[in-house]
Amino acid sequence: MATLAYAAPRTRRHRETRRHFLVYLGLAPFLVLAIFPILWMLITALKQDSDLYLSGANPFWFHLPPTWKNFDYLFHSTSYGDWIFVTMAVAFWVSMITILAAVPAGYALARLRLPFAENLGIGIFMTYLVPAIILFIPLSRVVSELQLQDSWWSLIVVYPTITIPFCTWLLMGFFKTVPFEIEEAAMVDGCSQLGALLRVVLPVSWPGIITAIIFSFTLSMQDFLYSLAFISVSDQKPVPLGVATELIRGDIYFWGSLMAGALIVGVPVAIVYNFFLDKFISGITGAAIK
Amino acid sequence: MRHGTGGSSSPETLVVSVGERSRGQSWWRTPTARRYLFGYTLLAPAILYVLLLVGVPFVFSLYLAMSDASVGAPVARFVGLENFKATLENATFYTALRNTLLFTIGAGIMKGVLGTTLAFLLLQPFRGRKVIRALVVVPFTLPIAVSVLGWKWMFDSQFSVINWALNKAHLIGAYGSPSWPVWLGEPSLALLSVMFVNVWRGFPFSAIVLLAGLTSIPPEIIDAAKVDGAPFLLRFRKVIVPMIAPILFIGSAFDTVFTLSDLSIVYLLTNVGPDGATEILPTLAYNTGIRGGALGRGAAISLFLFPLLLPAMILLLRTLRRKQY
Repeated sequence: MATLAYAAPRTRRHRETRRHFLVYLGLAPFLVLAIFPILWMLITALKQDSDLYLSGANPFWFHLPPTWKNFDYLFHSTSYGDWIFVTMAVAFWVSMITILAAVPAGYALARLRLPFAENLGIGIFMTYLVPAIILFIPLSRVVSELQLQDSWWSLIVVYPTITIPFCTWLLMGFFKTVPFEIEEAAMVDGCSQLGALLRVVLPVSWPGIITAIIFSFTLSMQDFLYSLAFISVSDQKPVPLGVATELIRGDIYFWGSLMAGALIVGVPVAIVYNFFLDKFISGITGAAIK
Repeated sequence: MRHGTGGSSSPETLVVSVGERSRGQSWWRTPTARRYLFGYTLLAPAILYVLLLVGVPFVFSLYLAMSDASVGAPVARFVGLENFKATLENATFYTALRNTLLFTIGAGIMKGVLGTTLAFLLLQPFRGRKVIRALVVVPFTLPIAVSVLGWKWMFDSQFSVINWALNKAHLIGAYGSPSWPVWLGEPSLALLSVMFVNVWRGFPFSAIVLLAGLTSIPPEIIDAAKVDGAPFLLRFRKVIVPMIAPILFIGSAFDTVFTLSDLSIVYLLTNVGPDGATEILPTLAYNTGIRGGALGRGAAISLFLFPLLLPAMILLLRTLRRKQY
């Protein structure tokens, strides 16, 4: 075997090149499929309006010079600034609530050897699977009881129903990997259980906590249904809802601004989510892999 | 209850509890009890939140579904199964149910095929793998409402870039000719477009989940099967599939839940048109319950999704529990 490889380095490299070529060839359609829509959105966002509606002309070509007009329009003629503020504010408060609830819960489930801990953990996680589509009608009643209709605070109340179950589960898995010894050592040194949690366990757990914050951010930006159901006032809308409802007036679509507005928020979310995607996958499948 | 728990079973607990009792302590002051108290206190916020805003609303939706509650009227009357009966007598409901099933199953199969192909491609070692992987998963990471708007523009009746490309490739005629597809304007094409966008968003998820499963198989196991002379298909069936089955179940359960409960693709892409041809249960529930203001009727419609979701949830629950113990 070894002599064979020695004797024929060229064929081996040849075969390697061929394999690479085949893999790239197989991946090419997937890449085009995945990326083309985003490129197309970008081209549209940078085009002048009349350049969008040229029958038969090559749509990839800028027949008129590219323009920032669509971005301008967003910020000066719509409530886009408000939508961005709402999106960020909602994501921020949702993350805070999620962390305050999910960190202690994940810790307790993972480390305190409580009776029924596993079942409680699974129970909390299963609520992640009760979809918005079943809950949005009763929750609309809850929102109106709380006098939060048409206010972005309603989203802060409902989004944690998605993020708390997910992040509790994620953090439970995370806390299981923190060695028990450091906590025991701290308690031998006179820390209370709470003291050990605050002074020893939390400081080494920040990667898990950051991950949970990122997911609270991205998951709350993925929603459409709740905002659609609860909010109809322009300056209270988060970006996806605002873009989808206010840049389409009757039959008139502001395609350039629509694409611009969608990309400004979509691309950063996609990039951040991308970095944490493996954590997301292992979060939801974690129990099955081990 | 206070003494009974500590004193009965094993010798050590007996010693401990005797020792405690001699110091005049009761059960709830033992370290174990304090740990439990501490633990359940830490758990309380999360459990309360989930109970109050998932558990209670779920039960409340059962109640709503049996009432004539509407957005305007604060007091609702109990009407029994009236809403369910009315729903079952509504022809639109059957269109929605048929589309929901067709949509979920059809898109599920396509995502499975595309996802598996992509996973096996990404499993190969090659240069630039990380970058390509990051690019290929973009559809899944973009907020859904954002990408649907992009697709709506690409499916435009006149300026569709897809049609432009098909026309240049001489696969279809010019705009206005009968072979020019109006993607969102013809019932079957519209349903296909909706499905396609769902597949576009979901296939990276299937691929990544499958990839996570495949990479979790220790290579020794596959090597051992190779050494034993098992051909690829046999290895696939007897070694790879059983090992990644749990993760596949979980992945498809999640995907089914995402797909069944998503309204944004249909709502933004076709808004159930043309003529209600792309109506699905989520849009029907939304349009009846929120837009139409008939909360009770809407709740009843969305509850019809529950039996469809149930198999996925049970599958997931069983997989999770089996792995825990």
